[in-house]
Amino acid sequence: MKWGLGLLLAAVAGVLLFVLARGFGRDPHEVPFMLKGKLAPAFTLRRLDTGAPVTLADLKGKPVVLNFWASWCAPCKLEHPVLAWGARRFAGDAQFYGVVFEDTEENARGFATPLDPSFPQLIDERSRMAVDYGVSGVPETYFIDAAGVLRGKFVGPIDARTLAQRLAELQQPQAPLSAVSR
Amino acid sequence: MSGLVVALLLAGYAPQQAGSTPLDPAREARVQALGKQLRCPMCQGLSIADSGSSAARAQMDKVRELVAAGQTDEQIRTYFVSRYGEWALLEPPAQGMNLLVWILPGLLLLLGLLAIARVVARRGPGAAPAEAAGASGAQAPPEVDPYLEAVRAELRR
Repeated sequence: MKWGLGLLLAAVAGVLLFVLARGFGRDPHEVPFMLKGKLAPAFTLRRLDTGAPVTLADLKGKPVVLNFWASWCAPCKLEHPVLAWGARRFAGDAQFYGVVFEDTEENARGFATPLDPSFPQLIDERSRMAVDYGVSGVPETYFIDAAGVLRGKFVGPIDARTLAQRLAELQQPQAPLSAVSR
Repeated sequence: MSGLVVALLLAGYAPQQAGSTPLDPAREARVQALGKQLRCPMCQGLSIADSGSSAARAQMDKVRELVAAGQTDEQIRTYFVSRYGEWALLEPPAQGMNLLVWILPGLLLLLGLLAIARVVARRGPGAAPAEAAGASGAQAPPEVDPYLEAVRAELRR
């Protein structure tokens, strides 16, 4: 009878340990990325420099790098030159677009090099498109392949090496992204 | 102080837009109820209805837009889960691994009650006669039944 109780307690402790191990095994603040491998949500946004509309359908056929940023976000300022460099360096491989997140046009215009023609910026009125993409903060960078499939996203300021690596992966048809992808 | 104000005015500020126009009361109540169920990605354990962050406001706008478009509560929850995962729901649905969260507390309570009942039952027959004997010696000595003794001995083990 005592053995039965002991076994029961051991079982309960085991289940509890399992639940806790699962819970502590991951970062509770990490927002999962569910759109990986799915078709990127369609959008029509206005260019900050020319005011011309840009739709995702127009961009099909060549990989797209979408970077969400805001002028009030300090890490974005740090990251911006990397993307501006990437846009020039990988101009033949991908189209780079920045999306202004929760900011005024005036502030966005004053940001680093927003009017760089190789890295056009788009205005997302009321962040409708950002919510469609599951943006959970800025900066975030999304990688869409030539077929319009979302292949991954990078949370936080991206560095040149990661950017180059992700772009190389974008060229390969539907290969799984590296383990860092979220 | 005035220097700080000037600095703040000159620096790029984080603009806070007001939420989109509320719907009619009945549908707006649905928007708020749904907002309470959805987790704000930038905050710590807050719902998007309770948060003042701009990302939460954008998501509330989206909820309002979807309600206005005639989507059901389930469809709207699915919209957010398909983007932010089950993480987006403040209350996890009672299925799969999550079922543990719902069942375990009740189960533990039940086990505790069972353990208490067991202790009480075990102490009962052993302790009660001793107590009774101490309280009133006039009572008749407990009958000696070999079978009952065997059961008690079994219980005491």
